[in-house]
Amino acid sequence: MNGVRQIWLVAVREMRERGRSRAFRISLAIMILVVIGMIIVPALIDTSGGSKDVGLAGTVPGDLSQTIVDQGTAVGTTTRVQHFDTLAAGEDAVRNGDIDVLVVDAQRLEWRRREAPQLRAIVTGAIQLVAVRERAAAAGISPDELLALVAPVPVENVELGSVPGRSLDDETAAIVMIALLLIAISTYGNLVLAGVVEEKASRVVEVLLVRMPARSLLAGKVLGIGLLGLGQFVVTALAALVAIRAVDTFDLPAVRGAVLAWVVLWFVLGYALYASVYGALGSLASRSEDAQSVAGPATVVLIAAYFASFTTVGSPESLPARLLSYFPATAPMAMPSRIAMGATTWWEPLLAIALTLAAIAGLVQLGGRVYTRAILHSGPTLRLWDVWRGGTSRRSGAVGGSPTVPGG
Amino acid sequence: MLEFDTVVKTFGDLAALDGCTFAARPGRLTGFLGPNGAGKTTAMRAVFGLVELDSGAVRWRGAPISGAERARFGYMPEERGLYPRMRVRDQLIYLGRLCGRTSKEVSRTVDAWLERLGLADRTSDSLDTLSHGNQQRVQLIAALVNEPELVVLDEPFSGLDPLAVAAMSELLVELSGAGATVLFSSHQLDLVEHLCEDVVIIDNGRVVLAGDLEDLRAAVPQRFVNIRYRGEAPDWCRLPCVQVVEASDGEVRLCIDRNADLAPVLAAARATGDLISFSYQPPTLSELFRHAVAP
Repeated sequence: MNGVRQIWLVAVREMRERGRSRAFRISLAIMILVVIGMIIVPALIDTSGGSKDVGLAGTVPGDLSQTIVDQGTAVGTTTRVQHFDTLAAGEDAVRNGDIDVLVVDAQRLEWRRREAPQLRAIVTGAIQLVAVRERAAAAGISPDELLALVAPVPVENVELGSVPGRSLDDETAAIVMIALLLIAISTYGNLVLAGVVEEKASRVVEVLLVRMPARSLLAGKVLGIGLLGLGQFVVTALAALVAIRAVDTFDLPAVRGAVLAWVVLWFVLGYALYASVYGALGSLASRSEDAQSVAGPATVVLIAAYFASFTTVGSPESLPARLLSYFPATAPMAMPSRIAMGATTWWEPLLAIALTLAAIAGLVQLGGRVYTRAILHSGPTLRLWDVWRGGTSRRSGAVGGSPTVPGG
Repeated sequence: MLEFDTVVKTFGDLAALDGCTFAARPGRLTGFLGPNGAGKTTAMRAVFGLVELDSGAVRWRGAPISGAERARFGYMPEERGLYPRMRVRDQLIYLGRLCGRTSKEVSRTVDAWLERLGLADRTSDSLDTLSHGNQQRVQLIAALVNEPELVVLDEPFSGLDPLAVAAMSELLVELSGAGATVLFSSHQLDLVEHLCEDVVIIDNGRVVLAGDLEDLRAAVPQRFVNIRYRGEAPDWCRLPCVQVVEASDGEVRLCIDRNADLAPVLAAARATGDLISFSYQPPTLSELFRHAVAP
């Protein structure tokens, strides 16, 4: 019997059965909605880039309205102005959110809640300018001369971020990527864990191991859940990309196809690394309730790697960041973040991939060994050390079979 | 032919199999007996490579068992288990395909079995919606899905109702009749006696009795005598070389050494008054068993 064919059959079963389950479909829908929501909701709340409405009430100098519009244009903010006959009507409009600020008698600004600094600057600037013009006229300076004198100079805002060529939004994107990678690796790693424990707890594993080696079963499971996860991850990433294009509020020179491809590659590597560990640890538990406790060490390492990877966003060129991005346990999150920040030289991702692949190969061997020895053991949860020690000396006990059910 | 050749397997200090040697022949039903903890399950798992042997060998047709052969064998483990939330037919076809057969071949076998065991209308239900009895049937199909030449069943009768026991018995006889080697363990000695041509009795990891059931009965170094009478019972135990196996009012079963003289027994029986019958009866399987595994 061809081992590759068996692995593929196991993988296909995992994809079909899990893809068919309602839990999977709901989780896919939720994941897409959350990601789109994370992108669209801030854009809806953050209206700084949109137009502003200014209301005027009471005594209004003749050209204040036009001056406000001009001042806004100078700093790139579209400003609309409307007049209110009474103070009460103007204040109502502020409270309703119809206008952002009400200018009373060209002396007082009324806001619904906190003042918006940029709008305040525009409006106060316009009031000052109008006052200067009036005083200049009174002093005998001609309007044309004055206009030339006080014509606003366009001023540009630039957010430098930490790395040349990358914006603050790129940093946000890197952080979001790290978070997505953590969620994806831990979600699918835990599916492998739950699947292994389920097979052991339901005893179906004995029927399966008659037909194929334990390693093929583990490999097929990791492959199937991985492909399913990859599909879900890619769909979610595409939804995010579409949402970003749609709201168009992010300045993301770094999030190009190439970076996304790196993220997908690192998801695959990170998943393979952690899933082999989760699978091996899962074989130690005999009941679903014990799954999380046996997997504890792997989860702790994964979470620690997540937090460590944040340091690579702030200072992607530093030595700790570089080491984190090479080390296999942290590389799946630290390396794509450094790549997104444009802080890598060409050989660094290759080195990290090589190291991670080597680690995966080693862990698959070790994990497969633990899995093979522990999966048929029933009774209380095994300790890793017992399985390991048992593995080095064949006659020393809790190995392969089960000391608790030798008879029958 | 399935052969165990001085198979040894220890778990820590416990010898689960301690030089276990026996054979199961094709076309015959072999009952595998022994007290709890004797090593039956470990021996059955050893056929499928589920335990690493310390020494000795398990052979099929004179050669060590390959992975491909193993995959084609039928096995019903002691602890039943399938995917609870997978559909019945999908599950069986999956298990069949894992052994290298095509989807089409497997479907034919699976559908025939589902039809035969009355599950044809439950094929697309998930396993956990089936009753316990029906789940057992699916488990049986899982063992037979590859039309195996060797079938190993660990306690196939446990938990079955009398009708299901009859159906299972018929099926096992049919399988062995078709030429398969069938080995199954059970504690129901009456059933085994009724069904099996061969028995293997194991105790503390060693085979204590094995072979054709009729031969084993004939080879017992005692004779069993059933006596029916009317009147006062004599004190049977005072007779030389006699043990009382079972005694009730007007009836007794005695175990007598083969070389002992029967005359005093017959005389004692006559002395009770009316002797109704006096007959040799071969030992039952349960008597063989008790003798073989006596502490």
